[in-house]
Amino acid sequence: MFRRLLVFSLTAALLFGLAATGFTAKKTLHVYTAFDVDEANIYIEAFKKSYPDIDVKWVRMSAGEVLARVRAEAKNPQASIWFAGPSTSHIAAAGHDLLDPYTESLAWQYLPADFKDPEGRWTGFYTGFIGFATNKEFLKKHGVEAPTSWNDLLKPVFKKEISKAYPYTSGTAYTTLISQLQAIGPKKLGWDQEDEEYIKKLSAQIHHYTKAGSACVTEAGLGEVAVGIAFSHDIVAKGIAKGYPVVMSFPKEGTGYEIGAVSLIKGGPEPQLARVFFDWLMSAEAQSLFKKWNRVPLNPQAELAEGLVTAAQVPVIEGFGGQITWYGQRKDEIIDRWRQITGR
Amino acid sequence: MKITIYLRESRNEIKRLIKDPVLLISIVFISGLLFLFIAFPLIKVFQYSLWPRGEFSAKYFVEFFQRSYRWRPLINSLTVGALVALLGTVIGFIYAYGITRTDIPFKRFFRTVAIFPIISPPFLIALAAIFVFGNHGVITDLFNLDWDIYGLDGLVMTETLAYFPLAFMVLEGVLSKVDPAMEEAALDLGASKLRTFFTVTLPLATPGIATALLLVFIRSLEDFGNPIVIQGDFPVLTVEAFLAITGMYNMPLGATLAIFLLVPTMIIFVVQKYWVSRKSYVTVTGRPSGAGLLSTEKHAKYPVMVAMIFLSSCVLLFYGVVLYGSFTRLWGVDNSLTLENYRYVFTVGGQYISDTLTIALIATPIGGILAMIIAYLVARKKFLGKGVMDFVSMLNFAVPGVVVGIAYILAFNTRPLQLTGTALIIILVFIFRRMPVGIRDGIAQLQQIDPGIDEASTDLGAGMFRTFGRITLPLIAPAFLSGMVYMFVRCMTAISAVIFVVSADWQLLTVALLHEVDNADLAQAAAYGYVIIVIVLTAIIGLRLVVGGLLGRRTTLFQPE
Repeated sequence: MFRRLLVFSLTAALLFGLAATGFTAKKTLHVYTAFDVDEANIYIEAFKKSYPDIDVKWVRMSAGEVLARVRAEAKNPQASIWFAGPSTSHIAAAGHDLLDPYTESLAWQYLPADFKDPEGRWTGFYTGFIGFATNKEFLKKHGVEAPTSWNDLLKPVFKKEISKAYPYTSGTAYTTLISQLQAIGPKKLGWDQEDEEYIKKLSAQIHHYTKAGSACVTEAGLGEVAVGIAFSHDIVAKGIAKGYPVVMSFPKEGTGYEIGAVSLIKGGPEPQLARVFFDWLMSAEAQSLFKKWNRVPLNPQAELAEGLVTAAQVPVIEGFGGQITWYGQRKDEIIDRWRQITGR
Repeated sequence: MKITIYLRESRNEIKRLIKDPVLLISIVFISGLLFLFIAFPLIKVFQYSLWPRGEFSAKYFVEFFQRSYRWRPLINSLTVGALVALLGTVIGFIYAYGITRTDIPFKRFFRTVAIFPIISPPFLIALAAIFVFGNHGVITDLFNLDWDIYGLDGLVMTETLAYFPLAFMVLEGVLSKVDPAMEEAALDLGASKLRTFFTVTLPLATPGIATALLLVFIRSLEDFGNPIVIQGDFPVLTVEAFLAITGMYNMPLGATLAIFLLVPTMIIFVVQKYWVSRKSYVTVTGRPSGAGLLSTEKHAKYPVMVAMIFLSSCVLLFYGVVLYGSFTRLWGVDNSLTLENYRYVFTVGGQYISDTLTIALIATPIGGILAMIIAYLVARKKFLGKGVMDFVSMLNFAVPGVVVGIAYILAFNTRPLQLTGTALIIILVFIFRRMPVGIRDGIAQLQQIDPGIDEASTDLGAGMFRTFGRITLPLIAPAFLSGMVYMFVRCMTAISAVIFVVSADWQLLTVALLHEVDNADLAQAAAYGYVIIVIVLTAIIGLRLVVGGLLGRRTTLFQPE
């Protein structure tokens, strides 16, 4: 009896193993995405509906983690397309020669120069602005206003009441960091004396760091912290629209924005399918779906969400589009300096 | 002189092995597997740390001591570990004492509650702590507390609740085996019960207490799930090592941090295996020791019972709130009930469920059989390098999960051993990381069975495999099955090692759960947690029924660590 059980379990294991190695008829595309699971699911399901013969396998990671994973797998890439995440991370990947150029897409041709790589190694498809998500109950309880300046974050009332992500795991946090470097003190690129003092003071105000950028919106909503620093679309979609008591505000000295980008991973296993997904993502049909997450689409024909935050309503740092590239190419050293200053 | 004897003995052993090719092949095969999937990855960790680009460089080692943000996490980890070990062992002792040495009611209930943290993903407790003690938690709101759960306090609280059951299980075994004759002798000589407890019972249980302390210390040190959820501004080493690899792609740094995590756990492992376990005073007589001395005095048993009720209520409160949270629409804001979170788990997470089950169902039988074969070789056969096989096969018991994960991606990321991205690498992690428990139980069981039974089978002409399959395996079936159940439970709940090796094709439920916690989607995370718990419970109960029918007797199917 016992032996029969043994034989059975071994056979079952073997069969499972065979099925696992798989000889499925459907073509499969492997995707790394920096979108939240529930958001990525919206677009990928829509894509699968439009292309029923393509199956999509995907992993969600923070942008910094995707970059780390693509670097780790450089000799043997496991995914073909890197979907979303700020261009800074894609620029860093391009710097390590991990991306394939793709200039034949329609989108690459219609996009203004700031929103794409001149060689086509990454292409923008949405934008969003760094802002503050503040818990309303906290504001009422302490009788203060939501922060409207980078310096407001240093007020004693917000001590240990702010959460943000690690700039090396999160694209949101890196965009926040470069916005601060540009908005505070002299306008020159990179670190200066005032930047370092500001970052040192700010790090004393931080309650804790998260891995994913959008998590601090929910944390502010839950009242775990008073202020979360995140992208406007995440503040609206994960905070206000969900029913959390949060208000959104922006720093008056100027804020930065991300160019959400997509890129083809060099040597990926399915280059053709990746291009199909790429082209679909640039279509008005796909970008109209961004309504659901309050993202600003870059396809001029896409429908916009009601009450969408666009560049016109936000104090954007002058010339930020050009500065992003510079910071993307120096991501490692900028973050290294940050770690030395904050000790994190 | 000695050397020549040794050489002659080795030669004889080699001769004996050549005469028994099946044994020889098994030993070579198993040794190869153990080297490839346990020793080799760990060697890679050292190689990446000290020879980052093919040349020797101690850069990251030196940096570790120079920069406070590098070494502080190690101090933090050790602090948490020490506190958790102490608290967990005290609580575990109270629990074990209450169950083995008093006549309190509801013992079954207390024991069931203590199993909870073991069969759920460990970091579910951290999630629960946010539900209960977070700034918007149930208790926080109720009593208007101003207590920050993120950091040292929260880590110690969650890990104590998560790991005291281990101390309890170890101490329960020890306390129930202390020979009551010793205690009776003390009482007869006129010592009070209190004096007897402190001068006889406690000293006899000391090796057990030491084992419990060390075990909980290791588990706390290697814990990854709870800290990543609740460490706040108190970074611990496991999370730092994880971020170095996944966030920064700094393999040499990750490998270096892994070594600093490995050193303390290895020291403890060696101390436990070769020193503490030799000092056991419990099974000296061989006679059935019977029930120990029971404390029936009110002043002795009621404080114990109150403490146990308090602790069990904490565990139940934690799990209850998570269960409730999994049905809320938007935890903390809109607490109306909904099934939406479970619908989400079964649609978006449907693939994760089937991936996890597939992997668990493949890993479990293979790991179970392999563990029994190794236990058989170690306990029954004599061969060169047996001690090494014993040591290496038990090694992963002490190697922190994060280190195993890092070691596997370093070792199996390039040709010819290109395994990243496959289901195989996840299965291998599970098998070789969780096998030690099965091996240990198997050896323990084999030592209680007269080797004459095996020999009789061999004398009657059966080969090694036939003897193993027909005689030995059925005899050690309880250890075999409990080892498999343990492995299955860990496949469903583990996170620290496998988080490094999941891929787009093969995702696991615990990793999905962690992503939800990452994004602070607490209700969805809670739903994932309960789906895992239900699968595990179903499997344990199902196996218990099947095996009960098969063997015609009841077996304790779940023997943690």
